[in-house]
Amino acid sequence: MIPTPTITHWLTLSALLFSIGLYGIFTRRNAVGVLLSIELTLNSAILNILIFNRFVASDDVDGQVLVLFIIAAAAAEAVVALAIFVSFYRHRHTLDVTQANHIYDQGNRTS
Amino acid sequence: MYDGTVATLFFYLFAASSIALALGVVLGRRLLRSAVCLIGVLGSSAGLILVLGFEFIAGIQVLVFIGGIVVLLLFAIMMTSEGHTFEQRPSAARRVVGGIAATAFFAVTLSVYWNTDFPLVSKEGLAVSHEDVHAIGRKLLSNERDGYIVPFEVISLLLLAALIGGIVIARKHDPEDI
Repeated sequence: MIPTPTITHWLTLSALLFSIGLYGIFTRRNAVGVLLSIELTLNSAILNILIFNRFVASDDVDGQVLVLFIIAAAAAEAVVALAIFVSFYRHRHTLDVTQANHIYDQGNRTS
Repeated sequence: MYDGTVATLFFYLFAASSIALALGVVLGRRLLRSAVCLIGVLGSSAGLILVLGFEFIAGIQVLVFIGGIVVLLLFAIMMTSEGHTFEQRPSAARRVVGGIAATAFFAVTLSVYWNTDFPLVSKEGLAVSHEDVHAIGRKLLSNERDGYIVPFEVISLLLLAALIGGIVIARKHDPEDI
């Protein structure tokens, strides 16, 4: 018989998802891949906040409001990251993060 | 109907699918497939949030995360890859470092969780609706001590700044411009 999920089971699931995302952040070479992993960790953080709101403070809605803010910030972050990636790709023709040690393409800006 | 068995079943179903799809996001070498797996992970998370009883947040998750952010990431992948969406396998050193970091984080967090007595206030079965959209709206817009009106305004400024900043960063520069 499988046990009924308690708060510890829920938190374990969330921590596992966060660890998987952390592994992706460390191992991905493509910048968009890194961003995908970051979204994974953000998602697990949202889940964590909601778990605490449900089990520990279930007569409050502060956790849900905080989750709304996190989702909005994640959307803004994705927009700016996409813009940076497009600009970076236009200058370097790659998205390998190990090549991204300059912000400016210095070959074009010799003056 | 909501006697807990259904909720338990859905918990394990969504947990297994989200973990499997998350591994697909991280380990796959095709970025497009990873993005599709990420859609699956976020959908499973929306299901888990439904099991927790937050229908409004689950809807927002589907609308904004899946409908907005993942579609944006798909755009990013397609605009910057020119067909060769393969990624090289990470080097062994990278995989070792990443595995050690992830495992260490997981072990420490797990040991904390399993050794803590959380002050639970609700122990009844899951899959009960805890939704109070009116309360969320009042909390967001109240200017009392526990209101969130200032962060609400700040987040709207942040979204405007992200919009303008994205346009400025991504537009084509003239060589003599700036």
